[in-house]
Amino acid sequence: MTACDRIEGLLAAYVDADLAPEEKDLVERHLEGCPSCAALADSLRSAGEAFAAFPEIEPSPALVTRLRAVPGRRRFRFSLDFLLKPSLQPVFAVASIMAVAFSLYASSPDKKRIEQAVTRQLHRGYSTFEKLTAKAGAITDSLGAAADSLYASIKTLNPLGKTDKYSQ
Amino acid sequence: METIIRDCLDGKQGAWNMLVDLYSKKVFNMAYQFAGSVPEAEDLTQDIFLKLHGALPKYDFGKSFTAWFLTLAKNTLIDEYRRTKWEKRQRDEFDERLHAAADGDDPERALAREEARKLLWAGLDALPPDMRLAVILKEIQGKKYEDVAEILGLPVGTVKSRINRGRLQLAKILRDRPGIPEGGHP
Repeated sequence: MTACDRIEGLLAAYVDADLAPEEKDLVERHLEGCPSCAALADSLRSAGEAFAAFPEIEPSPALVTRLRAVPGRRRFRFSLDFLLKPSLQPVFAVASIMAVAFSLYASSPDKKRIEQAVTRQLHRGYSTFEKLTAKAGAITDSLGAAADSLYASIKTLNPLGKTDKYSQ
Repeated sequence: METIIRDCLDGKQGAWNMLVDLYSKKVFNMAYQFAGSVPEAEDLTQDIFLKLHGALPKYDFGKSFTAWFLTLAKNTLIDEYRRTKWEKRQRDEFDERLHAAADGDDPERALAREEARKLLWAGLDALPPDMRLAVILKEIQGKKYEDVAEILGLPVGTVKSRINRGRLQLAKILRDRPGIPEGGHP
């Protein structure tokens, strides 16, 4: 650290007359022999004067009106806050997709073909669903039959040779 | 002040208007000196008052309202600066109409002061946001170190050294401006 760096650190306090007497002497001795630091001390004083001369600006009447209306604005903002909930985002996403699909359909010149394609897909989906239901029913029936036959076999075998006291 | 705030909390528009009248100039000037442009300062001031309205129920009546509100203003200014970085923003040209101040009868001195004010106005942008705000509060708004420390939520010693570093940086801009011989008085 050079002598100038050390003095620079004290200059603002020197200009504010906020230094202990020995530090003040140190700075003054340095300033006598260093034009650059002396110019910096002058600039610090000038900056202080210039800053003090910055006037306050009046806010415009339009701004004051906007500020006075803040309570009303906040109530309106609050009433719409629920729309920003993250939990509603999937709903908005689905709604957006549906809105896009509907607008594509509404603006299409070939609506009949779209309707036919949709009806075909719906029928296909419905018949697939019916087939699956029938298969599931058949599986349930065969499982029930298997369970009955297993139960009958176990009853016939009677491996422990016990008799049911209630059957006597 | 306590009555005004309690009335604001009760939703009384008259009390809110009074709060706006008391603080709009102070907050607008703080935002303007920080941001450097009138439209931006107006938007920031509105944001600050919106936040104030939302935060008012959390105000601790045992503390100074001015310091609490200016801390909220400071947080909004710094947050907004960090969020947007204000990359596209430029400080307004130094406007004599806005910045004119009484300079006495000496035209040469008045010219030197005007030039210094122009340089300082532009130079504020070179300071980091925390330092800039500290310099504005102390040097332009004339607050005491203790008040600045309370607003910034920092120890007085830290604030003093931050402000002094900012002042030195700006003073160097004045000292090194072209046309002024070394050691010359502005």
